[in-house]
Amino acid sequence: AAMRSRAEVDATLQTAKLNPAELLPAVHCLSFGPQAGGGECCLLQLEPGLCAELEAGRSLVIRGEKDEHAVLCSKDKTYDVKIADTSNMLLFVPGCKTPEELNADPASCNIIHSQIAGFSKNYWELRRCRPKLKKLRKLLMEDPYEGPDSQKDQTSTFSKYTTEDLLSLIQASEEEILHQLQVIDACKIEGYWRILDFDYEMKLLSHVTQLIDSESWPLSKVPLCACLEELGSLEPREMIEHILLSYGRKYFDAGEVFFEMLEDKICRAIAQMLLQNAVKFNLSEFEEVWQQSVPEGMTTRLDQLQGLALVDKSSRPETIFLLKVEDLPEDNQERFNSLFGIREKWTEVDITPYIQDLCAEKQTVGALLTKYARSSMLNGVKVFNSRRPIS
Amino acid sequence: SGGTGALAQWVLVELQGEVQPRQSGDLAGSLLGDLHYTCEGIPVLIVGHHILYGKVVQLEKPFAVLVKQGGAPQPSSAGPHGHYTVTALIKTKLLFKTRPKPIITHVPKKV
Repeated sequence: AAMRSRAEVDATLQTAKLNPAELLPAVHCLSFGPQAGGGECCLLQLEPGLCAELEAGRSLVIRGEKDEHAVLCSKDKTYDVKIADTSNMLLFVPGCKTPEELNADPASCNIIHSQIAGFSKNYWELRRCRPKLKKLRKLLMEDPYEGPDSQKDQTSTFSKYTTEDLLSLIQASEEEILHQLQVIDACKIEGYWRILDFDYEMKLLSHVTQLIDSESWPLSKVPLCACLEELGSLEPREMIEHILLSYGRKYFDAGEVFFEMLEDKICRAIAQMLLQNAVKFNLSEFEEVWQQSVPEGMTTRLDQLQGLALVDKSSRPETIFLLKVEDLPEDNQERFNSLFGIREKWTEVDITPYIQDLCAEKQTVGALLTKYARSSMLNGVKVFNSRRPIS
Repeated sequence: SGGTGALAQWVLVELQGEVQPRQSGDLAGSLLGDLHYTCEGIPVLIVGHHILYGKVVQLEKPFAVLVKQGGAPQPSSAGPHGHYTVTALIKTKLLFKTRPKPIITHVPKKV
């Protein structure tokens, strides 16, 4: 289309009975650009911090397969994406100046021909959410690493996942994914992220604890080099180092690497090993066997088992059974349904380890309980049960 | 993704209702109207036979303009899947909410 001239603009002003003296001299003649109707442009409303990230040159990524709700990820955060409709028409105009900008630049062009790049009646809205990390463990559990002697790896038909694979499959930011890999003690074997098969992991751990015992090393000062030397003939060195990193805190002393063994984590793992063999155990029998099974110098405590096992105080005798929070649903409502299906009434102390991970930024366990549960008193103790009848 | 160099700053113009081309055929290339500002900084938009008065709003939550990458549009009903590039940021909008004032004309002045 032909560009409007100053004369045409002035004529329009006159027809409209607007006084040019009351207007800034510059005018924008708006027309629709060649791509405007294409629908290729869309608007994303930015949460605090994201604008600065984009201006710093960092990327945002949309993640999610066709059957998943899309999420948007910055380098370290994850957001749910929803489409918000407005009843108005939103036009996006490059090169359009505000009055401040025009006043700041008196020499600015008299006629600015601006092309509207696109328009929309809706935009994408973001809401910060928990990264969807349950799938990460699920993928890695498809093929846990059973050690170099395992026949499985050679004949395995399961997918193995590199960092890039995980980034494209998991609805979470890169930092959240890498952090979670550390939390679940995953390790990289031949470029692929692997989780250790639990039995293999316990085998590695017992090599180390037996060596600590036979060498009479203090639990707080286990030397890496000696471990690699003594155990290197039994297991790959990378695996020995990995188990020390998983169950110990690494530090340097006079240039050498040592590990302070993590009592709570070791006791917890041994409890899992014992508990996974039956549906439930007599509590006092379990506590006795458990204490005898942990390394010399370590003390077992029930609070080491939060989120791993649950004590039934109502049965006679009292019992304990395995209940791992990572096996429970990721969605809030489904998690609560599942917990209330296992036990009708929960004290806050008992349920907290099983809902702690659901808390959004700045949300408390109390707030979750208020939303998803109903409270009542039982024998003088506050308990929580489902808001709806459990079938 | 962001790009090399600073991101362009665009402006959002928010209008009530629909925008329709005067002639049949699509919008591309057709004129929308003239945008003026009063000396006090009030945006005035002349669209067809209407005058719209608006205001300049600094957005609390800026927008990013995303352009879809790749050729054929994907038939994803579930929403925003695919690869996108951030083309520009929008921190300001011109909001036109008042009812358009029709321009009563007799004979348009010949130029």
